[in-house]
Amino acid sequence: MLPFDFEYYKPASLKEAIDLYQTAAKNRKKPMFISGGTELITLGRINLVHTEAVIDLKDIAECMVMQFEGDYLVIGSTLSLTKIEETNHFPLLTKTASEVADHTSRGKITLGGNICAQIFYRETVLPFLLADSQVVIVGPSGIKVSPINNLFHEQLQLGTGEFLIQVATAKRFVTAPFVSIKRRQQWDTGYPLITVAALKIGEEVRVALSGLCPFPFRSKKVETLLNNREWPIEDRVNSALSELPGPILNDVEGSAEYRLFVLRNLLHDVLEVLGAS
Amino acid sequence: MDVIGRSILRKESQDKVTGRARYTHDHHSNTMLSGKVVISPYGHAKIVKIDTIEARNMPGVKAILAGEEFPLTGEDIRDRPPLAVDKVRYHGEAIALVIADTPGQAKKAADRIKVQYELLPVVHSPTQAFQKDAPMVHERLGEYIKEKHTTPVPGTNIATHIKIRKGNMEKGWTESVTTVEADFSFPPSDHVAMETRCSIAEILPDGTIKIMTSSQAPFMVKQLIAKYFNEDIGKIIVETPFVGGAFGGKASVQLEILAYLGSKAVGGLPVKILNSREEDILMSPCHIGLDAKIKFGADHLGIIKVAEIRYLWDSGAYSDKAIDLTRAGAVDCTGPYNIENLWCDSYCMYTNHPYPAPFRGFSHSELSFAIERTMDLLAQKLQIDPLELRYRNAIMKGHTTPTRVLLNQSNVGDLQKCIVRLKELISWDEGQVKEMNNRLVRVKGISCSWKTSTIDPNAPSGVILTFNRDGSINLMSGVIEIGTGTKTVLAQILAERLKMNVDNIHVKMEVDTQTTPEHWKTVASRGIYMAGRALLEAAEDVINQLREIASIVLRAPKEDLEIADSRVFLRDNPLMGLHFQDICYGYQYPNGNSIGGQIIGTGNFIMRHLTHLDPETGAGKPGPEWTVAAYGVEIEFDRRDFTYQLVKAATVVDIGTVLNKKAALGQVMGAMSMGLAFAGRETFYFDQLGRVLNPQLRTYRPLHYGENPEYLVDFVHTPDLEAPYGARGVGEHGLLGMPGALGNALSVAAGVSLHHLPLIPELIWKTKEAKS
Repeated sequence: MLPFDFEYYKPASLKEAIDLYQTAAKNRKKPMFISGGTELITLGRINLVHTEAVIDLKDIAECMVMQFEGDYLVIGSTLSLTKIEETNHFPLLTKTASEVADHTSRGKITLGGNICAQIFYRETVLPFLLADSQVVIVGPSGIKVSPINNLFHEQLQLGTGEFLIQVATAKRFVTAPFVSIKRRQQWDTGYPLITVAALKIGEEVRVALSGLCPFPFRSKKVETLLNNREWPIEDRVNSALSELPGPILNDVEGSAEYRLFVLRNLLHDVLEVLGAS
Repeated sequence: MDVIGRSILRKESQDKVTGRARYTHDHHSNTMLSGKVVISPYGHAKIVKIDTIEARNMPGVKAILAGEEFPLTGEDIRDRPPLAVDKVRYHGEAIALVIADTPGQAKKAADRIKVQYELLPVVHSPTQAFQKDAPMVHERLGEYIKEKHTTPVPGTNIATHIKIRKGNMEKGWTESVTTVEADFSFPPSDHVAMETRCSIAEILPDGTIKIMTSSQAPFMVKQLIAKYFNEDIGKIIVETPFVGGAFGGKASVQLEILAYLGSKAVGGLPVKILNSREEDILMSPCHIGLDAKIKFGADHLGIIKVAEIRYLWDSGAYSDKAIDLTRAGAVDCTGPYNIENLWCDSYCMYTNHPYPAPFRGFSHSELSFAIERTMDLLAQKLQIDPLELRYRNAIMKGHTTPTRVLLNQSNVGDLQKCIVRLKELISWDEGQVKEMNNRLVRVKGISCSWKTSTIDPNAPSGVILTFNRDGSINLMSGVIEIGTGTKTVLAQILAERLKMNVDNIHVKMEVDTQTTPEHWKTVASRGIYMAGRALLEAAEDVINQLREIASIVLRAPKEDLEIADSRVFLRDNPLMGLHFQDICYGYQYPNGNSIGGQIIGTGNFIMRHLTHLDPETGAGKPGPEWTVAAYGVEIEFDRRDFTYQLVKAATVVDIGTVLNKKAALGQVMGAMSMGLAFAGRETFYFDQLGRVLNPQLRTYRPLHYGENPEYLVDFVHTPDLEAPYGARGVGEHGLLGMPGALGNALSVAAGVSLHHLPLIPELIWKTKEAKS
């Protein structure tokens, strides 16, 4: 049960959504865009989310596309993770998304919701960071398209009243060799201890991580060190470990030291599977 | 008849699979108000101020209870205020109760209650609580009302101390050539039953107190509310519909008290309190933690000559059921092994953790982890096969238990037979370790267990049988249908005894303490044993009455009459007889004259010869019989990552007699699943302020479908001559050996001795790191 009342809107167009947001913001309703609504419900009931105006994006056509357009695969932000898994246009995304939460929840959780989530794992952003995807964003000043790596720093940097419509990914990345491993505290249920996603582009291995720090990231520094073919894998992994951003998470899922132990082995596996040794 | 042993479908299964079964929270009424509890955010803190002004002015608020001194509650020691006053002793302790028109209004108002705390030093573990300079959880322990056999030590954190002194320790050590000694510990955890607890209370104008509650112990609710609040016991009526899983957690009485106080505060209107998952995990009683120290001495053949055991049970903030848990842990302290020289100290320790309810197995899965890991350490030291070591030490008839009960062919199962069967079931002879590749290895771990049910010596169970006009029978017992299928099995027992079709026996699922005969509590795998015996007595009563009237009508002596297929007939001429429907409401002659009348069968049962324990030696008879079992767990372990998968899990229980095959298998497998989750993942993580960091299903994770191993279950049949058709309790036993067997498998696989739960890869990594 949500301990607060809110207005609920389900706009049918981008413009209507933007206008509704602005009006609600003007009326100090702390508006919130949603699509699956899982965070509104699960965090709202324990007072970690509060809003007086909910704008549900599920009826907006642009947010529901999933198709190849020219050289790009375009995926709408309000598609559920199960829908994305079933269609399976982008195998790395499928694999990464299929490990989020559980099947029932993935029927509700959407791509945009997961990328822009308050819960900081945001694992479905990892494939797009690796694939240098483009994000399509709409806001009061119209639609803009930007490289995700310019706009995603710990989280997607959205201005007030902006939301994610689509993510576009060049075909050559969609079909590139990949690895996606989610390691949990125990067995197959729960948040990541570490999720690693990797793509191999030519001879270069790209790596993005969730669960290591309180945000997902892809680090160019780490990648450069991992790709230094002059060195044996052991040294490459060690040097990459010394260039990690901070802080390293230390929580109920695992201690910081243990996470580093897990990460070391995962990086070995990534380099081995992608034949970078 | 062949009803016994058959996999009769549960009588309530249609209702449950269609979603029509009603649980406590499914009961609503127009006048019903909602209660919301405000809980403590800290483990140990002084309450400086509770500000309810803003909350009182919120819409719909009818009453707020806070800061008021109500009578203290608690089963053996009355140490627990229904709502905290002066200080809070655990994270989740109830501190205020808001009553409002709707759940939403109650929650909104509860969010506006401001409490000012002053932090106090936190007692983080029973071992810390046992230290001389530990902070006091209960400063006034000496002033509490307590039961006669409870032994709190004022000025300490000891809520009770149970001593077992048997044999001659010096002799035992002298006869030993090897000793092993080890410490084990694990924090509290939870039951996470699917249905969170819910209670509704109402006080009618005539003073009748009506409570509906998701409880395993509605008759205890009635007794305790009468006792705590000086109410007239006859005016308290407790109803329990279906209960959505309990596992011991609903044997404690807590929410009922709050609902009762809430109703009282609003002039007796009905008040419902439904726990959120977080409240169910934090506020309501949890699964006990333990710090154990075990020392065994053995001769060169591995025969254990002596044992010194210390259990420090984590009673959390309040003693409630922990006193009984401490006693149960003492009486079976050795595990299922014959140890003649024994010294055990079982302490119930106050800490600043949530306080425990019973948990499926009642202290036995917990102590078994410590004992079974020690058994493996002994086997390793002596280079004896661990299964063989257990076989050699297995307790059996002729031996005495730690509390000196002499075992015979009936009151204990055959552990050696269980071990032999387990050995085949898990292909033990193929070896304990199988290399898969340079990283993966498959390893088997084994364990054994035993358990008696330490229930109150005068615990009653009663059954009433009535007839319908068609000769079918209504069966009424106070056993709660908590998901175990017990009531269906009772119908099977009656069908077997009366040689009739089980479909013609109708079972009343709901319990109402005013009209249902009392069954003490639906706990301790004692449903069938006690209610079954009461039922058989009620069946005799019915048989006698049926024969009596039939003998008049048939003009034949009672002794010549047989009963089968809902008929009473002449043994030598079955065609001459009467259907139940012709006599169960009296027999009417053609001219209208009638004799006999409505047949009502009654039966009751009370345990025989149970005693309290001797305070100095522990001697006494704590329970009726011991069920024994042997277990195996096979894992696939990654020697680089220290991760593992559960491959197979096996349990062989001496069940006496299988009453309902699939129900029994379901009970054992369900319990195994719970045991593996407890051993492998479920635990509370605490911070320095004593806060539970994972009170949600996001972070507190029971075993999910697909994570489970393949389950192998088999039974040995040594009948308990006192039990209905020889059946032994089986509701808990699948769980008991899982932590030990998993710990043993992982210790072999990882090459380090593991002493803590849960057995997560990080624990193995940490233990490895510490060793290197």
